[in-house]
Parts: sequence; structure tokens; C-alpha cells
Amino acid sequence: MRPIQPVYISGTGAFLPGEPIPNDQMEAYIGLVHGRPSSVGRRVLRWNGIETRHYALDRDGLPNHSNAGLAAEAARQAADNAGADLFELEHLAAATTQGDLLVPGHAAQLHAELGCGPLEIASFQSVCGSALMSAKSGFQAVRTGEARQACASASELSSRWFRPEFFEGADLTGRKGNVVLEAEYLRWTLSDGGGAIWMTDAPKRDGISLRIDWIDIVSLAHQFDPCMWAGARMSDRHDLLRSWSFLGPQAAFQTGAIALQQDFTLLKSIIRAWVGVYLKKVDEGRIDPASIDHLLVHYSAKSLREEIIRLLEDTGGMIDEARWFNNLRTVGNTGSASIWIMLNALLNERPVKPGERLLAVVPESGRGLVGFMQMTAVGPDGE
Amino acid sequence: MASIETLSQSADAQSLQVQSVLRKLAIAWTEFEARLETTPLIRKLNRGQLTIEEYQAFLLNLRQQVVEGACWISRAASNISEDYFELRSTLMQHAQTEHRDYQMLEADFVAAGGELQAIRSARKNIGSEALSAWMYQQASKPNPFSMIGAMWIIEGLGSQKARDWGKAALKQLDLPEEAARFLLYHGENDLEHMEEFQEMLTLMPLDEALIEDIVMCARVTGRLYALQLEEITNA
Repeated sequence: MRPIQPVYISGTGAFLPGEPIPNDQMEAYIGLVHGRPSSVGRRVLRWNGIETRHYALDRDGLPNHSNAGLAAEAARQAADNAGADLFELEHLAAATTQGDLLVPGHAAQLHAELGCGPLEIASFQSVCGSALMSAKSGFQAVRTGEARQACASASELSSRWFRPEFFEGADLTGRKGNVVLEAEYLRWTLSDGGGAIWMTDAPKRDGISLRIDWIDIVSLAHQFDPCMWAGARMSDRHDLLRSWSFLGPQAAFQTGAIALQQDFTLLKSIIRAWVGVYLKKVDEGRIDPASIDHLLVHYSAKSLREEIIRLLEDTGGMIDEARWFNNLRTVGNTGSASIWIMLNALLNERPVKPGERLLAVVPESGRGLVGFMQMTAVGPDGE
Repeated sequence: MASIETLSQSADAQSLQVQSVLRKLAIAWTEFEARLETTPLIRKLNRGQLTIEEYQAFLLNLRQQVVEGACWISRAASNISEDYFELRSTLMQHAQTEHRDYQMLEADFVAAGGELQAIRSARKNIGSEALSAWMYQQASKPNPFSMIGAMWIIEGLGSQKARDWGKAALKQLDLPEEAARFLLYHGENDLEHMEEFQEMLTLMPLDEALIEDIVMCARVTGRLYALQLEEITNA
């Protein structure tokens, strides 16, 4: 499909609050539930392979940024990086898993933080995949000529959800008196950060821009129950009439409906489904593995890597491992923000040359979704 | 005489075809697996709502399909010509390892509180009838190479689903391990899955038409298997 108006990523931004926090200091920030160290933390860290991450909290667990604030830092950086003026922005799309307020949408908070405008806004609430939803919104706005400059942000402030207040007094206790693994796992996996891309109808005047070839998002929610969720108890998550607002906030908290949770058994099927969607794109010729020079995959499970690589090799879907780029080990898993934080690091750390092709893959366990974004690096002349 | 170069080119072409069929089968598998999630019985199992009666019905219905498994593989083996002797031998080994599996299901059924006579005398449900008829029809063709697609689906159930299903059923119904040995045993024994299929694929005359047949056979088998599960809660 040839774009009506070519769209270029002319700037990227990434904001990671505070210092990198090593594994042995995590609980100083996210706190001790019932005053006791977690018994599963080490196991989860071995599984996800993360060594340092950032929190928008101080050592007493007090916040030093809002979620919208993290997004704003990244958006300003993306504008600077593009050599653009915030006040020329016409379309602002914001992605997050859970915004600072329940209402109104996250993009309104981000817009207020940035202070530019008036302009068009769009809020995207999902999990990791929301990043590509907001990117697609900006991409479409520029592609159709409705905006000349668009910014898509993705940000997460997960750490506040992992503080003891979210667990103590809630029915989330397992057999040995610990927090159930479904909830504890995410405490040891997710952390804070913001990322953004700046999209324009022309490449920037110096350096490399990325032309967006296409963005495809595939949801499989018609087939799967929620796999990563908040707002319902595990046993009720398929029945929306028993979700948190119907119970009322207090009862919902007590029954354990508020915490973020993950279903590991279902996750295995969903991971295979992601690979299936990818292989279908390969089979149909939408993705040509041999043509990809830089692959960015948002994944957090180090231990799944081998299994997936084996399957990709057997099925002709493998992209040479030397072309993979991933920085989750050092910056943490920042959910929706990860893909832009990764893209920003790639452009800073690797020499990306005109003509090279980039593929971003963003799986979301939420209710089964995977998104892809293919880009081609271009110089100032658009080639 | 073929030069070394053309030999290696044809080896490359074969490996590309093996990759292509495995890719299409992997896609067929994930689409089938997602469909399974939407069948009422598996939904209840995954949501922790399965009743003991439904679990018994699950075993009882599975038994009627599994009892045929070794038979259709044997029939397929008997229709493989001498030119593909090694493939025939692989299929015969498969039939041999599976031909007592249905007895394990009977024992599980009894351990879950069912009557032996009931599981032995039950009829196939509509989906199992359709699945079985399809398998025998495919297996009865000369050189039924496309059956590897059906085996891919049935073996995938063993390696990817059985163990989780068994563990979930035991947990929510508070049953002893003896009531899910068939499901638990399969999860443990089918891990070499992919290598075996790669091996079998190199033993057959793969071309575009055969690849299409293999994938279609996998998709039909998956659809009929899901129908079999749908019919359990429809009875």
C-alpha cells in the first residue's frame, strides 16, 4: 500500500526517571508488602532477565513525576530531536495502560502538561500495544494531510500500582501468606518511563528520518479471555458485570479486583498466537525476514527467547539475531513506552543508514494483541 | 551426474519447502488453538468452572476418538508404497505407541468416578463421527502424505494443551492424578514433536500441491476436533 502522503519519524524521545535501580534495591522503592521481602522476586527476575530499571518514586515510595509528566518529557525531547517547535504540533496521540486520572483521557493530561495548542488529541488506553495505536493515529493524521506534524507518546507509571497499599487488605494472598504470583509477577517486571515519536510530512533537514511503511495491529480478543488485567478478580475477569465498578471501589479492592494481574497458563497460548500472526505476515509476504536490517521486539521473558527462536528458524521466519535490538535488560520493561525507548536507543547506539529497513514488533498479552510497524531509514532527500 | 552445486541447490529448495510447510502448519495450529479457547467446554475449564460431570463427559468423548487413532495411522501406513518405506515405518511406530492410549482414558474415567461400562459403550458424538470419517477417508488414499497435517494437530494437542488441561481439571475438581493420566502423560511425552515432523517431511515428495493438501488436512482436522468438543456440551 502506497501512502497518500509519506510520513516520517523525524524525532524520537525517551525519558527514564531517576537513577537505574538494581535488583537488590527494588523493594526500597516499591515497598515491602506486609513488611516482608517477596519470596518470588528473584525467580521472576531470572525469568525476565531485567537487571536495572527506573522508578518515578523516591526511596520512600513518594512520587516525583506523574504519568503525563513522563510522557511530556519524552514528547519535548522528540520535538527537540526533530528540530520542531511544540507550538506547531497539530495532532497529539497519547498511549498508556493506566493514566493518572480515571477520567478524562490521558492525552488531555499530556496536552495540559505540554501547554501548547489548541490541537487535536487522541487517547489510547490498552497495554503495550497502545503505543502502536497512538502511532497509527498520528500516522493517519499526517498521511491524509489532516496534520503536518503529529506526536505519539507512550508512558507508564506502573510502580505506584506495586506499592503495599495496593495489596495489604486485599484478598490476594496465596497459600503461604505471600501475594499470589499472578499479581506479584508484574511487581518484579514492570517499571516507569516515557517514550515518544514525532511524525512529519517531510524528512528532517539533517540526519536520518524513518519513513513509516505501514502499521498493522491484530487483536485476538474475540478468542481469548483477559490475560493481563486490572479491575476484576481472576475468577470474574470474563464477566464484566462483576468488574470493579459494579462491586464499588471499596469491595472491589478488598476482593483483590484492583491489582494488575497476569494469567501464566493463558500467556503460553497467547505467545504462540503472536508467533502465529507474525508467521502469517511472513507467509503472506507482508513481512520479508531477510529484508529487515534492525528488529525491535518488545519482550520481557528471557527464558522464552530460545523456544521462539527455534520455532522461527524451523519455519523460515527468523531474522538474523545480530539484527535484533533490545534494551529491556538495562532500562526495564516500561510497557507501552518500551518500543519508543528502544527505538530512541537504537538510533543513538547503532549507525542506521539510508535504505535500511526497521521492524518494530509489539505484543500485548492484555487480551491477545500484536502490532507491527515497518520503517525505512531515509536521508534529508527522502531516499 | 548431478554436480555438487545442483545437489546443494536441491537440498536448499527442499529445506525451504520444509520451512514453508512448517510455517503454514504453525499458523494453522495457532488458529486452531485460539478456536479451542472459544469452545464452551474449554472456556469453562480455563475459567475454573468445569463440573465433574463435564470432566467425565470430556474423557468419555475423547475415548471414542482416541480408540480410532492407532487404527487410522495404521491404515495410512498400509497405503504408503514401498518407495516411501521409511515413512511407512515411522507411521507404524506411531500407531504402536498410541494403540493402548484409550485404555488410559478408561482408567482415568473410572478414577474420576465414572462407570467403566459407560465409557466403553458410549457412541461417538457428532463431531467425533465427522472427525473419524474424515481421518479414515484421508488414510484410505494411496500414499496419504497429507495425513501429516492431521497428525500435526493431534500431536499438538498432546504437546501443547493436554498437560495444562489435565492440571487445571485436577485442581478445580480436587481429583487425584490417576484421574488425568492420559492428559498428563501426553504433555510429558510429545516434546520432540517438531524434530519428528521435520524428519517425516523430508521423507515425502514435497511440492506446492502437497503442501496445500497437508495444510488443508490440518485445518479440517482442527475444525472437526473443535466440533467434537463443542458437541460435548451440546449433548
